[in-house]
Amino acid sequence: MHFNPYSIPPFVTAIINLWLGIVVYSRNKKSQINQSFFLLSLSIVVWLIFASITYNCSQKELAMIFIRMSHLGVAYISITMFHFIVNFLNITKLRKLVIFFYCYGLVCSALFLFTNLLTSDCKQYFWGFYSLAGKLHPAFLIIFIAKIILCVYLLLTNYIKLEDDSLRKQQIKYVFIGIFIFDFSSVDFIPNYGISFYPFGYVTTTLFFLAFAYSIIKYRLLDISIAITRTGIFIAVYSFVLGIPFAIAFGWQKQLLLLFGSQWWLTPLFSMAFFATVGPFIYFYIQKKAEDRLLQEQYRYQTTLRQASAGMGRIKDLNRLVNLIVHIVTRTVRIEHSIVYINDSLKNFFVLGACRAADRRFRPKEFIESKSKLIEQLRQTKAPIVYEEIKQRTQDYGDLALAHLEAELKELNAALVFPSFIEDKLLAIIILGKKLSGRPYSDDDLNVFSILANQAALAIENAQFYEDVKKTHEQLYKAEKMATIGTMADGLSHQINNRLHALGFIASDVLDTIKLKRNLAVTPELKEMLVDIEHGLTRIQENVTQGGEIVRGLLKYTRKGEEGFAEVDLNQLLDSAVEMTQFKIKSGEMTVVREFGGDVPKIKGNFTQLQEVFFNLIDNAYDAMMQRKHEFKESDYEATIRISTEGSDNGHLKILVADNGIGIKDDDRNKLFTPFFTTKLSSKKGTGLGLYVIRKLIEENHGGKVVYDSKYKQGTKVTLSLPIYNHS
Amino acid sequence: MAKLLIVDDEIDIREFAKNFFKKRNIDVFTASGGNEAFEIIKKESPDLVLLDVRMEEFTGVELLRKIRDEGNKVKVIMVTGVEEEQTINEAKSLGALGYIHKPLILEELEKIVLNELKNNA
Repeated sequence: MHFNPYSIPPFVTAIINLWLGIVVYSRNKKSQINQSFFLLSLSIVVWLIFASITYNCSQKELAMIFIRMSHLGVAYISITMFHFIVNFLNITKLRKLVIFFYCYGLVCSALFLFTNLLTSDCKQYFWGFYSLAGKLHPAFLIIFIAKIILCVYLLLTNYIKLEDDSLRKQQIKYVFIGIFIFDFSSVDFIPNYGISFYPFGYVTTTLFFLAFAYSIIKYRLLDISIAITRTGIFIAVYSFVLGIPFAIAFGWQKQLLLLFGSQWWLTPLFSMAFFATVGPFIYFYIQKKAEDRLLQEQYRYQTTLRQASAGMGRIKDLNRLVNLIVHIVTRTVRIEHSIVYINDSLKNFFVLGACRAADRRFRPKEFIESKSKLIEQLRQTKAPIVYEEIKQRTQDYGDLALAHLEAELKELNAALVFPSFIEDKLLAIIILGKKLSGRPYSDDDLNVFSILANQAALAIENAQFYEDVKKTHEQLYKAEKMATIGTMADGLSHQINNRLHALGFIASDVLDTIKLKRNLAVTPELKEMLVDIEHGLTRIQENVTQGGEIVRGLLKYTRKGEEGFAEVDLNQLLDSAVEMTQFKIKSGEMTVVREFGGDVPKIKGNFTQLQEVFFNLIDNAYDAMMQRKHEFKESDYEATIRISTEGSDNGHLKILVADNGIGIKDDDRNKLFTPFFTTKLSSKKGTGLGLYVIRKLIEENHGGKVVYDSKYKQGTKVTLSLPIYNHS
Repeated sequence: MAKLLIVDDEIDIREFAKNFFKKRNIDVFTASGGNEAFEIIKKESPDLVLLDVRMEEFTGVELLRKIRDEGNKVKVIMVTGVEEEQTINEAKSLGALGYIHKPLILEELEKIVLNELKNNA
């Protein structure tokens, strides 16, 4: 063995390639693209390292061993490259061909190692020992070139296919340039055929490396820009620090001897000392500059998150909160749109909370069903969903569930979906559209939005809790107020009644006096005055009577059913219930049809309680019918309540109260009898106590039954089953 | 002359009702509470009593019971505001002729009262 300077360039190139391969691989070990790139680097490294060692050999036999080992790398270069291109371009149908090529590579490497068919001998050129082609080498060469041409062809066709000036297109361009330059390393095959042509393949390999490095930094190819920059700067700076003194020492040795005599070595020594001193400063300076540029985005993200977490926690209004979330998201990255859907646990839907889109015409879906694949997937994985990944996996595995999910994502225009979890509760989902730049989402994006989504979950839970408390409080207050009015009404009405009564007596008596003295001779002026007074007193009497009726009506509202159970006539019951509603319902707004005969059996019940029940039923029906009237505006719509009875079973009478109102949505149905649950549009209208009270009165007090049947947009039918009065 | 007793804790009621029936040649007594009314009934034996249900001392029903306990069969018409069925039923069982709801126009009361007094005569 002897030292041959020609062995240095391939060696250095090999080291750089090895480093690049390792960085790419370690950055994302799971990515098939990164894996295959690493394999490509490895085969290049094997080739160059052993070639470099071969140059240092002085004996042919030893050189031959290293030549065979070097060809282990050569055998796989075109295969790993093809593999990388297939992964990079994501051409699934060529995966089988990749496997075939690897098998072929195995055969070739066996032939290189153990036979003379591919490499038969070696020859000493001016740069060192170099292999000579065996009998089968031309075939190997042709297949090698064919594979490279195939790679170039694939890149080219995919490049042309992409029309826009997207990131993807830029990436493909640089991979293409890199591969294209790398093809010139094929010149290294020329000396195999005995021609003394210096194998400068390592030069084009280095250029290939540079093209990739550039693309990595500029176009986020393989997503390793920061790692590569730091090490790249380090290598660049220290190759100066070490390289320049070495170059001086080796290259200018003779000149320096002439100049400085035996002290010539001081020059490289001093230059070494100088560069070693300034090196770290240069390194840190360049590194700072480069990272400022590259980390710009990360800094912005961090700022966003800080501001977001500070802002979101303070907002107690859910609506404002979700608007802030979409605002933060769209401010952080320029994207087509961001949407928040909030879990409405009462309705089994994720309801649109807020949306912000670059295109004003964009209309997001109003809700996502809880049963959808998307929600199911989010609940299972608790991780963000990337549309591109799902699409890829759908193609790879042809899974039906995945295809379903992909379709859903496509329909939602979702490039990214983040779940907002609090423990096991999926409170909301955040959907992001594509980036306006056309760039894909990076790992950093995913991280930052995942954190944001988690913070959002906390804030949403807070806001929801606050709203719930507020709502419950309001409802309780309202119910309490109603109860207070009820208790007060009794004493109050007595007082009012007494005043009215006295007023009536006073007016009546004075009026009576005037009437009795009608025949007295008085002046015409006095007579006229008496007529006026008489008229006034009559009006007072009239108002007293009306006032009395109002008080009676008020009492019917609030009267608690304290009296016992007795015979109740359905017709009377309905009369009084309808009468109670007349404070709210104008005549002609709805029709109550009684579809039962006069022979309907009497009910055994508490009149006042049943009155309350029927009042509530009619009141509910009225609200439902008015909602339908206002929402659908059907021209021929007539609000009608039909009340009918059905044959009795085991001593019970079935009374059916059917309206043609808006009806109840499926999801609301099982909450109908929950206290404080109301579907009535305005919170003013419903306290959410009506049906709860009905069930309590009918089932607990009367031993009856309430069955609810409702169809949205068709109407509601309530069937009450009440005991029949038994005369014996 | 027929005797009418009006029992009510409202001074206006007593004053104007008294005025009104006096003009019809009826001897009107008034009482503001149960005890006073009880004394008058015993002393004067009125032909008809208009008895307010809600009063401070005793309720009308309590007074009625007291009267009946004494074995007095005087005719009584209850004057109720918005009293409950239970009260009304109780009064009926104690032999009240009927009940009238407040507020009432005197002309209507007149018809009822005159009718009862005529039956009496």
